[in-house]
Amino acid sequence: LNGNGSLARKWDIGKLIYMENINPSDCIKRWRGGEEALSEGGDEEEDGDFFKKSDVSKSSSASDEDDLEKFKPHFDTFNNLVAKWNSAEGLRRRFIGAPKVSDVDQG
Amino acid sequence: MAPGNYVVLQGARNFRLRIVLSTLSGRPIKVEKIRSEDLNPGLRDHEVSFLRLMEAMTNGSSIEISYTGTTVIYRPGIITGGSYTHNCPAGKPVGYFVEPMLYLAPFSKKKFSILFRGITASHTDAGIEAIKWGLLPVMEKFGVRECALHTLKRGSPPLGGGEVHLIVDSLIAQPITIHALETPLISSIRGVAYSTRVSPSIVNRMVDGAKKVLKDVGCEVNITADVWRGDNSGKSPGWGLTLVAENKQGWRYFVEDIGGPGAIPEDMACGLAYQLLEEISKSSVVGRSQLPLAMVFMVIGKEDIGRLRITKDQVDERFIGLLRDIKHVFGIEAILKPVNETNSDDLILTIKGIGFTNTNKKIA
Repeated sequence: LNGNGSLARKWDIGKLIYMENINPSDCIKRWRGGEEALSEGGDEEEDGDFFKKSDVSKSSSASDEDDLEKFKPHFDTFNNLVAKWNSAEGLRRRFIGAPKVSDVDQG
Repeated sequence: MAPGNYVVLQGARNFRLRIVLSTLSGRPIKVEKIRSEDLNPGLRDHEVSFLRLMEAMTNGSSIEISYTGTTVIYRPGIITGGSYTHNCPAGKPVGYFVEPMLYLAPFSKKKFSILFRGITASHTDAGIEAIKWGLLPVMEKFGVRECALHTLKRGSPPLGGGEVHLIVDSLIAQPITIHALETPLISSIRGVAYSTRVSPSIVNRMVDGAKKVLKDVGCEVNITADVWRGDNSGKSPGWGLTLVAENKQGWRYFVEDIGGPGAIPEDMACGLAYQLLEEISKSSVVGRSQLPLAMVFMVIGKEDIGRLRITKDQVDERFIGLLRDIKHVFGIEAILKPVNETNSDDLILTIKGIGFTNTNKKIA
C-alpha cells in the first residue's frame, strides 16, 4: 500500500484495522509507532525486516495475545505493575470522591 | 468473495466467536487451517465440545469437520434454546462454554436454561464471578435484564466436579443502541474471595492482601468471603479472588485469578489488586474482557449508530481480529474517532447496527 517511505506518516487506525494484508500485531506496531517516536528506523517498512522484528521484539506479547480464546487480558509482570501503581494518584480522577475538584470534570 | 457462499476464515483464533457471529448473522462459515502447522493439528476436544453445545442449542445447524479436523464448515440454524445439560471436558472450565452462550441466549426461541458440569475456575478463562459481575451487567446495558448464573457446586481444577446453571429469561428482538461517551466514575470496589476444600483462613489472607493495596485508592472496598465445604465444593482443593470496580451507572471493571500450586494467597491477591488498577487505567466504559460482548451487541443492534468510548490501550490484536471477523461475516465496518477533549486520547468506537431481528420474535 502507500505506506512505504514516509517515516513520519501517521497511521489511521480506522484504516489499518481493515488492511487485511497486515497482521494485527503489526497494525498496532505501526499505529503506536507512528504516533510515538519512530526509533526503530526506516527499515521497518521492509518486509524481510518486518518478520524478523516481529519475531524478536513482539514475541513475548505476541504469544500472550496469540490465543484469542483467552478470556483474561494480558497483564504486565507483577513487579512492573507494583512499580507502576506504587501510588494510585494517577487514577484518582476515576473515582468518586476525588479530592481535586478541578480534575473531576474531565472524568 | 467466497466460493459456495461461505465466508471463509482462517486459523484457530477466535473460534467460538466466529461460530457465534455466524449463528447471529445466519451466514455459513468455513474455517480453514485450524492449527494446520501444529504437531497435533485440528480442533481440540473443547472446541468439538463447544460445537456439540451449539448443535444442541440450535435447530437445523450443520457442522462438517474435515478428516484431519483442520477445516470446519458450519451452517447455522435458528437459535432454539431450551433446557440442556452440558458436560464440559476436563481441559476447559465452564466459563469457556458459558461465555459464547451469552451472545446467543437473548435471541432464542425458548428461554435458555443450561446446566454446565465441570471445572469452574482457571487461570485463563472466565470464572463464575467474572461472568456474574462482569459480563451480565454489560448485557443489562443492552436490555437483557433477566439473566442469571447460579453456582450450585464449585469445582476447582484439576478434577472439577462443579455445577453452574445459566438461566436467561429475557428474550428480546434486538439489543438497545447505546451511547456511552463518558468514562464513568468508580464509586466502590467489591470482590469475592472463595475457597474449596482448603482452610478458610486462606480466604481471609486473600482479603487482607487485596485490601492492603486498595486502601490507598480512597473508596469503599468490600470483599466477601465465600468458603465452600462438603459435597458442593467439588473434588479438588482450590481458591480464587475476583475484584470488581463498580459505578453508579452500572458499568463494571473486573479482574480475577485463582491460586496455583505453591501460590501464596497474600501475594496473589496483592498482584490482582494491582491488576485491577491497571485494568481501570486501560478501560474507559468497559474493560478489555467485556469489550467483545459490547461490540457484538452493538453490531446486531437496530439500524442506528451506537457509540462507545474506548481507550487507546483497548485497541489490541484481539480488537482488530474481532473487527475483521465482524466485517467478514456481517459486512460492516466500525469507525474510530478521537474524542473531542484536549487532555484525553480516548477513542469513540462507532458501529452502525445491522438491524438484526430475532427471527423467533414475531414483530407485531
